[in-house]
Formats: sequence, structure tokens, C-alpha cells
Amino acid sequence: MNCDALLNLAMEIGCQLMRSGAEIYRVEESVYRLLQAYGGEDAQVFAIPSCLIVSLRASDGHPVTRMRRIPPHGTDIELLERCNELCRTLCRTVPPLEQAQEQAQRLTERRVYRPAQILLGYALAPAFFTPLFGGGVRDALCALLCGLAVGVCLLYGSRWLGNNSLLRTVVCSAVAALGSVVLVRMGVGVSVDLITIGVLMLLVPGVALTNAMWEIMAGDVYSGMSRTTEAILTAAGIALGAALGLWAGQTF
Amino acid sequence: MEFIMQTLLPCLYAGAACVAFTFVFNIHGWGKLICGAGGALGWLVYLLCGQSIPAAFLAAVSISLFSEVMARVRRCPVTGYLLVALLPLVPGGGIYYAMRYCVAGETQAFLDMLLHTLGMAAALAAGGILASSAFRGALLHLRRMRRS
Repeated sequence: MNCDALLNLAMEIGCQLMRSGAEIYRVEESVYRLLQAYGGEDAQVFAIPSCLIVSLRASDGHPVTRMRRIPPHGTDIELLERCNELCRTLCRTVPPLEQAQEQAQRLTERRVYRPAQILLGYALAPAFFTPLFGGGVRDALCALLCGLAVGVCLLYGSRWLGNNSLLRTVVCSAVAALGSVVLVRMGVGVSVDLITIGVLMLLVPGVALTNAMWEIMAGDVYSGMSRTTEAILTAAGIALGAALGLWAGQTF
Repeated sequence: MEFIMQTLLPCLYAGAACVAFTFVFNIHGWGKLICGAGGALGWLVYLLCGQSIPAAFLAAVSISLFSEVMARVRRCPVTGYLLVALLPLVPGGGIYYAMRYCVAGETQAFLDMLLHTLGMAAALAAGGILASSAFRGALLHLRRMRRS
């Protein structure tokens, strides 16, 4: 059995799983089962939110290990479902390694939404959240516009803001607050608070919170703590950005 | 009529907002509708139980159970449905008002709001953990009973 090829395959699938935003226990278990299915000796998998390590013992007793750093990523449920399905199929049928590697390479050819559709999602979500919290039709319209602005920042802002997610949150939150103050002062919107809250729901650390809960439930306390910290930092970033945006909108 | 305006309409808004979020998380097909239904269900429970911290706990429990069942039906990971359906309940308003009070120098109101926000987040997490663990435990038990 080719130990290196198996290690590469496991690493590829593990990395795709991590990038899709899967929980740590799912990544570790999927990769471990895959290695077991192919008869990897002394298989070890370790993952934390930013790193994946897979280790094996080759048939001549030589130990081999691969480590890969996971870049910042969003959540991609379509990719997660495809990785999960591929993993199950591979564990059940155990095709030759070259064929499996080919299938793993094809994971990225998945259905994705066009940027315009994602922007539509960013704009529509606040437009529904604002009435949910008690806003009227005019507030919903303002939330739609502010959501669009925040969506543009989130999608294309990485060119100026880099990969720093905290800075991105602060800037987007400031844009949301500033936009709603400006729209209210122009006479389009009615309530600054309701519009801003509706738009801030785009940035709220719901994903980090849910993930933290899952990690802790699965026993990965270390990953759970790191996600909890992420949630608290994001909330602080939202508060800071909104304060800056409100101040700027009311001063000038 | 009043019930429709006060209860069902907000649930529709919550569901629609969740469907809009599925674009961001790259969810396709039936998953979109399941996320929307989960969000609406969660908000319905939250409203009927009185919009308090225990209400958020019960809403998280119902969303988790719904998502777990749907994940079993569609044979998909539960993560996506749960992530999106819980979003309307995450206390974005709490973060915002806490910041307002903090900037205004109203320390007591700030602390109240901060603790309430933390309580909401903790209730969501605890409800999700308990419901999912209980569901999985019950499922495992059922399978064992059937096998023996």
C-alpha cells in the first residue's frame, strides 16, 4: 500500500472539510475512518480550528506525518455535504487511491452562488430582520440599502482590510451604523436603532457561538474555547464599530 | 387577526431572513426551505414562551430537535440547518443597546443589558447542547433496542 498517497488523500479531504467550516470532531472522525478503511497503521489525526495534523506508520515501520495550516475561511455547507458524502462512499467502497484522489480533487467543482446572489442575500436578510424587531416598511428599505453596503464590504473588502476578521467586523459595523444614521437624517428611515440592529445581524457571531457549543459538546474544549473567544471578540468589534459609526454620523 | 399580526407575521419574517442567509452559507435545494422553516419555528416558540431567556432556551431546544430530525431525513450533516435557524435568536440587539448605554455612561443599564445578552447566548448554547445530546442518546438507545 502506498502510504504517501493515502496520507495526501486524507490531508486533502481533511483540509476541504476544515475549509467548509465543519466541526473539529467531524474532521477528526472522518479522516480517521478514511485511514482505517484503507488499512493505515497507527493512524493519528489531530485538528484545531487553524491546523490539521495527520500521521501514519508506513508498512516498513517508518513514521510519516503531514501538517497543514488552515487559512481563515467562511462556512460552505454545500462543500461540507459533498465532503461528507465522498468520505462515506470512500469508506464503504474503498476504490484505488488514484481514483479516490481524483474524486477528492473534484470536490471544489461544487455549486456556488454568483456574487450577485450572495449580495442579494446580504441585502434581503436585514430587510426582514428590521421588521422582525419592530421596524416599518421605510426602515426595512433602509436596512436593505445598508445591508447591500455591508455585503459589498464583506465580499470585496478583503483587498483593503486583509484577512483580519476583527478589523473587517469593526469596519462593516461602522458602515451599517453610519448608513442608517445618514438615511434617517435624509428622511428615508425612521428609527436608527432598528435599522442598525437589523443590519448588524449580518455580523453577529452566531456561527462562532453555535460552533463553540458543538465543540464543547463533542469534548474538544480547546477548540471550543478558541471559538468562544472568537464570538466575544466579534461582539466587541460590532459594538466598537457601531459606536464609531453613530458618532461619525451624528457629528458631521 | 391580532394573533396573525403579532405572532405569525414575525415568524414569516424570521423564516424569510433565514432563507436569505442560505445564500451566504452556500446552501442549495431543499436545505433552504428547511433553514427557513427552522428559523420560523424557533421564533414562534420564542414568541409564545414570552420573549425571555427561558423562552430562548426553549426555542433553541425546538430548533435543535427539528434540525436533527431533518438531518436524519436528508442524511446530511446537521450543522448547516442549525447554524442558520439559530441566527434570528442571537442577541444582536443586546450587543447594540449595551454599546449605546456604555457610550452614554449609564453604567447600570449597560451592565443589565450586557448580562442579559450573555444570558441569551448561554441559553441558546445550553438549549442546543442539551437537545442535541438527548436526541442522539435516544436514537442510539432505539437502535440498540431494535438490534437486540
